[in-house]
Amino acid sequence: MTAPRRAGRPDWLVIARREFLERVRSPWFIVVTLLGPVLMVATIVLPALIGRTVDNSARVQVVDRSPTHQVGPAVVVALGVLKWKAELAPAPDDEVALRKRVADDQIDGFLVIPPEAPAGGTVTYQGRNAANAMAMAILAQVVTQVTQALRARAAGVPDDQLASVLAPVPFAATQPTGEAGGSSGMAVMIVGYAAMLILYMAIILYAVNVLRSVVQEKTNRVVEIMVAAAKPRALMLGKILGVGAVGLVQVAVWVGMAMLSMKYRGELLGVFGVEAGNWNVPSLRAIDVAVVLVYFVLGYFFYAAMYAAVGAMVSSDQEAQQVQTPVAMLLVVPVLCVQLVASAPRSGAARALTLVPFSSPVLMPMRWLLGGASIGELLLSMAILVASTVVVARVAAKIYRVGILMYGKRPSMRELWRWMRY
Amino acid sequence: MTLAVRIAGVVKRFGNHTAVDDLSFEVPTGVIYGVLGPNGAGKSTTLRMMNDIIAPDAGTIELFGALPPGGAAAQRIGFLPEERGLYPKMPVGEMIAFFGELRGLTAADARARARAWLERLGLGQWEKNKVQDLSKGMQQKVQFASALIHEPELVILDEPWSGLDPINADVLREVVHELRDAGKTVLFSTHQMEQAEKICEQICIIARGKKVLDGGLAAIKRAAAEEGRVVLGFRDEAAAVAAAPVLADAALVLPPPVDHALDREVQLAAGVEAQRLLLALVGAGVALRRFDVVTPSLHDIFVERVGREQAEVAARHDAVR
Repeated sequence: MTAPRRAGRPDWLVIARREFLERVRSPWFIVVTLLGPVLMVATIVLPALIGRTVDNSARVQVVDRSPTHQVGPAVVVALGVLKWKAELAPAPDDEVALRKRVADDQIDGFLVIPPEAPAGGTVTYQGRNAANAMAMAILAQVVTQVTQALRARAAGVPDDQLASVLAPVPFAATQPTGEAGGSSGMAVMIVGYAAMLILYMAIILYAVNVLRSVVQEKTNRVVEIMVAAAKPRALMLGKILGVGAVGLVQVAVWVGMAMLSMKYRGELLGVFGVEAGNWNVPSLRAIDVAVVLVYFVLGYFFYAAMYAAVGAMVSSDQEAQQVQTPVAMLLVVPVLCVQLVASAPRSGAARALTLVPFSSPVLMPMRWLLGGASIGELLLSMAILVASTVVVARVAAKIYRVGILMYGKRPSMRELWRWMRY
Repeated sequence: MTLAVRIAGVVKRFGNHTAVDDLSFEVPTGVIYGVLGPNGAGKSTTLRMMNDIIAPDAGTIELFGALPPGGAAAQRIGFLPEERGLYPKMPVGEMIAFFGELRGLTAADARARARAWLERLGLGQWEKNKVQDLSKGMQQKVQFASALIHEPELVILDEPWSGLDPINADVLREVVHELRDAGKTVLFSTHQMEQAEKICEQICIIARGKKVLDGGLAAIKRAAAEEGRVVLGFRDEAAAVAAAPVLADAALVLPPPVDHALDREVQLAAGVEAQRLLLALVGAGVALRRFDVVTPSLHDIFVERVGREQAEVAARHDAVR
């Protein structure tokens, strides 16, 4: 077919521009762009703030079965210092009565010091707050310190030396970044997680946006005029580019805000009345930002093409919800595997997850930021992602072309296969 | 004369259903052409194939002499689909310009033309409003403007009158006439025969995907008039009685029911011209108030031809069974 001679912009650009302007002008775009990071930070900071103010203390009774009866009273005293309501159990052998007291909410739980203590044995705790990790950590620490002190004394360590023996050992982990000092491992991990979360959210948000836009054009029937005026391929490309441009603007704003808030974190945290501490925050290099943005663009294209095809297959928003689930799972499963990459960025599993195109867009930037990937691996992962995006886009375009004019019945797998070979 | 559209032997099937069955017709440049047919006749399918929305299974469609649908031809066509659709959240002026750009206009040109169209349709002050703020009637006008902004040589309208109030229906007829006067070709589909009769120069009636008849509207009506129905009006009872023997002549008039009404419609016998009946009545001294050779309306022709066609199809079905 001869290429049309025309004066104006090509169809895909006209369509992309329309999609872009319609979204950027909406008040929701501005609200989400500005409040998105605030919400993201809130989801991380709020639980921590709430956790800090929560009172982990509890009412406990101590059953001391040790022969010397030294452990129990010492634990009661140590807990008392921490403002716990602790006392020795009045009827130590009657566990049934103790359980009943827990059930009647007279106490939260009871601690049993075994007959082997302090030399050995297992200290047990039964209580309604047994799932409170914070409280259990405190309890375990108190029991450990008390027991160790008694063992030391039994071994003849003088009391004045005991304190120095039991003094806590400060420990700090840092990640080498090529700069003097490096940055704290914790901070690197937080940045890695943040990149993963931003990418996951942005890709799913905008890919679903493409889906909804396709379905909307079908439901308000504007698609008929569009197909009469432009090739379906230009329609799909324009839509993906337009929506993607909105996403790129938003991610750029978010990354910019994240970098600014890193720089001025002292002042920011001061507002909340929290001290910044002397974290060595990793300074993001230009290449790190580029990696995040490149994976957003590639990952978005990869998933948006699939979502566009899903949109073309359905005829209502409700139907779209059902059909998109398998596609969404392709992105959710990698997020569930994040721990594999986070804890062992150089492992075979991490390597595989960051090469597979379904998971590489969200996991590779994290692995890169954690220092687990070489430049070679990065380039290989990108090449695989680009190649699979081309394949997916081709197949999606075929499904889109046929599906976009179908109303009513959803196609079966066999029909889909036929559409692809048109 | 060049052809705006040439359709030859076009077939379109959906599953087991044949929507368009070996359809052929030609639309000369610069005429108002109506594709008429009952619901489900295959009108919309035919129009969609001209717009490259769907592809025919067999046959050829040529536009502007030699172009296939889509591509270069698409920029010279304005299309109003049966299912109307607009972008509800877009400003009106921008949306019309958007469709202009899709049909190949430059951005500046499209904006200027969109503004001109809105002024012309009396919607000038709505340019910056969103489409969803407009009334239904106004949205329909916007839809027309979106289809016509690039001044297409061929305007294809699918059921353009459906949902229009009488005033907007008149506006649409005016626009169609203006387009034709400017040398454009207008092709539309409808099942509303009154509208088609007022405006069409040529028609093609289709039913069940097949052509029933096509040609110039005037010629079709003239041919139908020769099928011989006459309305008679007698001056008084006496005249009606005097006419009775003439009307009883089976060689002249098909046997009517015996009645003495002062106004009556009769069917001439085969091959009899109206003139002979008039002579016979005058010769019998019948005092006539009225003598009209009935020109059937397009509606009558449509019902008669499509009805017959469908009856035949039903008969064939029965025969097969």
